[in-house]
Amino acid sequence: MQYILRRLGFYALAAWLSITINFFLPRLMPGDPASVIFARFRGQLQPEQIQAMKEAYGLSDAPLHIQYIQYLSSVLHGNLGTSISAFPAPVTSVIATSVMWTLLLGGSALLISFTLGNVLGIFSAWKRGGLLDNVLPPLLIFVGSFPFFWLALVALYFLGFKFGWFPLRHAYSDKLQMGWTWEFVGSVFQHLILPAGAIIVVSIGGWVLGMRNTMINMLGEDFITMAEAKGLSQNRIMFNYAARNALLPNITAFGMALGFVLGGQLIVETVFSYPGLGYQLTKAVSSLDYPLMQGLFLMITFAVLGANLIIDMLYVRLDPRVRAS
Amino acid sequence: MMTVAACGGTPPAAQQPTAAPAAQPTAAPAAAEATAAPAAAEATTAPATGGSGSATLLTVSAQQQATWTRNFNPFATDNRFPTINGIYEPSMVYNTVKGELTPWLATKYEWSSDNKKLTVTYRDNVKWSDGQAFTAKDVAFTFNLQKANKGLTGSGQNAWVYLDTVTAPSDTTAEFSFKEVYTVGLYDIVGQNIVAEHVWKDVKDPVTFTNETPVGTGPFTEVQNFQNQIYEVHKNPNYWQSGKPMIDGMRFPAYPGNDQANLATINGENDWAGNFLPDIEKTYVAKSPDNGYYFPPVGATVMLYLNTTKKPFDDVNVRKAISMAINRDQVVKVAMYGYTKPADVTGLSDAYPKYKSQAVVDAGTWTKLDIAKANELLDAAGLAKGGDGMRTLSDGTPLVYDINVVSGWSDWVSACNIIAQNLKAVGINASVKSYDYSAWYDRVQKGEFDISIGWSNGGATPLNYYRGQMSKTTVKAVGESSDQNWHRFGLDEADKLLGDFAATSDEAEQVKIAEQLEQLFSDNAPAIPLFPGPAWYEFNTSRFTGWPSKDNPFAQGSPFGSGTPEQLLVMTSVQPK
Repeated sequence: MQYILRRLGFYALAAWLSITINFFLPRLMPGDPASVIFARFRGQLQPEQIQAMKEAYGLSDAPLHIQYIQYLSSVLHGNLGTSISAFPAPVTSVIATSVMWTLLLGGSALLISFTLGNVLGIFSAWKRGGLLDNVLPPLLIFVGSFPFFWLALVALYFLGFKFGWFPLRHAYSDKLQMGWTWEFVGSVFQHLILPAGAIIVVSIGGWVLGMRNTMINMLGEDFITMAEAKGLSQNRIMFNYAARNALLPNITAFGMALGFVLGGQLIVETVFSYPGLGYQLTKAVSSLDYPLMQGLFLMITFAVLGANLIIDMLYVRLDPRVRAS
Repeated sequence: MMTVAACGGTPPAAQQPTAAPAAQPTAAPAAAEATAAPAAAEATTAPATGGSGSATLLTVSAQQQATWTRNFNPFATDNRFPTINGIYEPSMVYNTVKGELTPWLATKYEWSSDNKKLTVTYRDNVKWSDGQAFTAKDVAFTFNLQKANKGLTGSGQNAWVYLDTVTAPSDTTAEFSFKEVYTVGLYDIVGQNIVAEHVWKDVKDPVTFTNETPVGTGPFTEVQNFQNQIYEVHKNPNYWQSGKPMIDGMRFPAYPGNDQANLATINGENDWAGNFLPDIEKTYVAKSPDNGYYFPPVGATVMLYLNTTKKPFDDVNVRKAISMAINRDQVVKVAMYGYTKPADVTGLSDAYPKYKSQAVVDAGTWTKLDIAKANELLDAAGLAKGGDGMRTLSDGTPLVYDINVVSGWSDWVSACNIIAQNLKAVGINASVKSYDYSAWYDRVQKGEFDISIGWSNGGATPLNYYRGQMSKTTVKAVGESSDQNWHRFGLDEADKLLGDFAATSDEAEQVKIAEQLEQLFSDNAPAIPLFPGPAWYEFNTSRFTGWPSKDNPFAQGSPFGSGTPEQLLVMTSVQPK
């Protein structure tokens, strides 16, 4: 219990710190959002109108500490303000249009990548020096070290554009209405394969190697030798003794990755025109849309913190050593 | 008024070439869809067609976003295409290719003898898309709405700088009274899109109003099937031009960037697009006889700005020498794929055939490549060459400069690379420095740069352009933000001529004054014109015809982000094949 309370205190502090950094960091960037938007109208607007636009967007020239206090109170009220680049849509609704797709794409890719990666890691460690172990890790490192956007573009060009096996863009067919029909679900699945596949291919290597290395360490431990001496079945030793313990560091990494899913898969979403948060974030940064940037970073921060908190709680369950301390 | 269709304000992730910070374009149907389902939407009357089927909807790539937010407010800075000049309409359409005004909602305008009152006459057969009659009262209402709400953008908002009152003495006439004489204001006034009084008078806050189901006078007003990755706008059942538009509607798929939009365009999915395509003859035209493009060089001229508050850029001969060192033919051919042409000493693009004086153009030599003359001028200016062939100021400071450019605007970056090489050839050590868009814009605005590439002002007359190039009224101190005249150069004589230009409504007189302005620019070289910005526009004739083209240049065809008035000419002339 004391452990949990300590963790909670730590998370509260981390949350406040990140909200604060979240507020000040974007404002240290050069330029201001009104000028960026103004620039779009080259020659159509008179300079007098910059002030008018600031009025409209509620960009106050109040001192930073006053703005900071206002910002804190609106965050506590769940009000993230109005987006500037998608003015006058509230930040919450801009995020709402994309968050589902980002979760679907990032979440499914992460789950598949994590599960498959760990299973492959377990087998490749168990049969050290076997065929799988000799081929798989180097191959995955090789594929994983390609620039991600290049890999995604190549996949799009050949599998989508040249051969026409997969759709080129979007989360579902433009000809369909959203709804729980087989046709719609099928279309969503079909549009998911290429972007999710690209993420899996690149990220799976990390899981395989992480698992393989901790697993090999585990296999050298005394309790494994003991289990073998007891004459337990190979499968039981592999999964219940070695893998269960080797999984712990990977669970932590999984929690981190889960949090980052909400940040949107920036490159993949842009390449495949997938309507997720990644592109929203780039756009927010490039157009100095402070409220949207803050909203997105806040969400990512809380997702990472939240996921870690859950993992910490899980640890109490998974790792008896934590309970003992 | 008008802008260059180009791409800008884009994430480096989505390589976005080109010249202008304008939220930009996009669109296309997924042709490679394996799902061949008709749109079973209750809302849609016509089946939405993508790359196949009965071609009733035009597929357009105009704006670039990953997901659409529903906003059809014509006064907002971010609204969905074609809100401005598509759903809503201006009084008159300024045609940049022809350099003339086409009557639209209005049939004619007239100045009073003292040029302080403009009377505009409107048609009596125009209806709003909800069936109510359009009158000049709507015009007066629109302008007064902007006066009351400073956050409503549009050229009508600019007009309140010099307007005194706007009234509608009858259903077909609107009167604009001026505080001071400013005849160029005509273009701001006739370019403002008009909204319906019976709808907008009840809007609580017009600044934040998203106007999800717009009521307009334009050819396309009925928003249908609005989703985050695609939406449709169907034709106005009560459109005032009988028999038009000849197509049922338009559809707008969402693309986050140029690459995605271009992929769809090359794939034959877009009927109408406004994107920069590299090497278009090979990548697009060669693919199909149906594919065409038309890039008239009518966009505002792209300039090389020298900070005239710093030595030696305060010396006109140094500025001219730098200009003569630049190989514009190479810049246009390599960096711009031959899509435009070298600029001349007036700096005006091809949008001003009426005003551009051939005499001034012919007499000016400083925009032509002449290395020998450039060296001679630099020597004479006291910038002696050292032993390494590099020049120094008279106090021995070496001439080492950054040329600032926006990272990711690939055509500009490669133009700057060529220019840097050209300058090294005459002993000026220039290198390209690319900044993120916001950082670049912050620097030029504050005058904190040595050399920077940048855009210039457009508009229906050369007035905006020259005001931004050499009016004292636009010069701000270094460190103070300015949205024009970044090079900080002003002449009293220019201000006098600009004042005279705006004080007369006699066109012959304006042409004469424009010639003097051009001569003044040519004499002083306030900044260095490189090339007119092309207006990006691609079309596909496999499903629709009637597009403007090189052979039939009735307008520039760019479906640009915030909408040029000329797109109305395109929308009302395109027809199914």
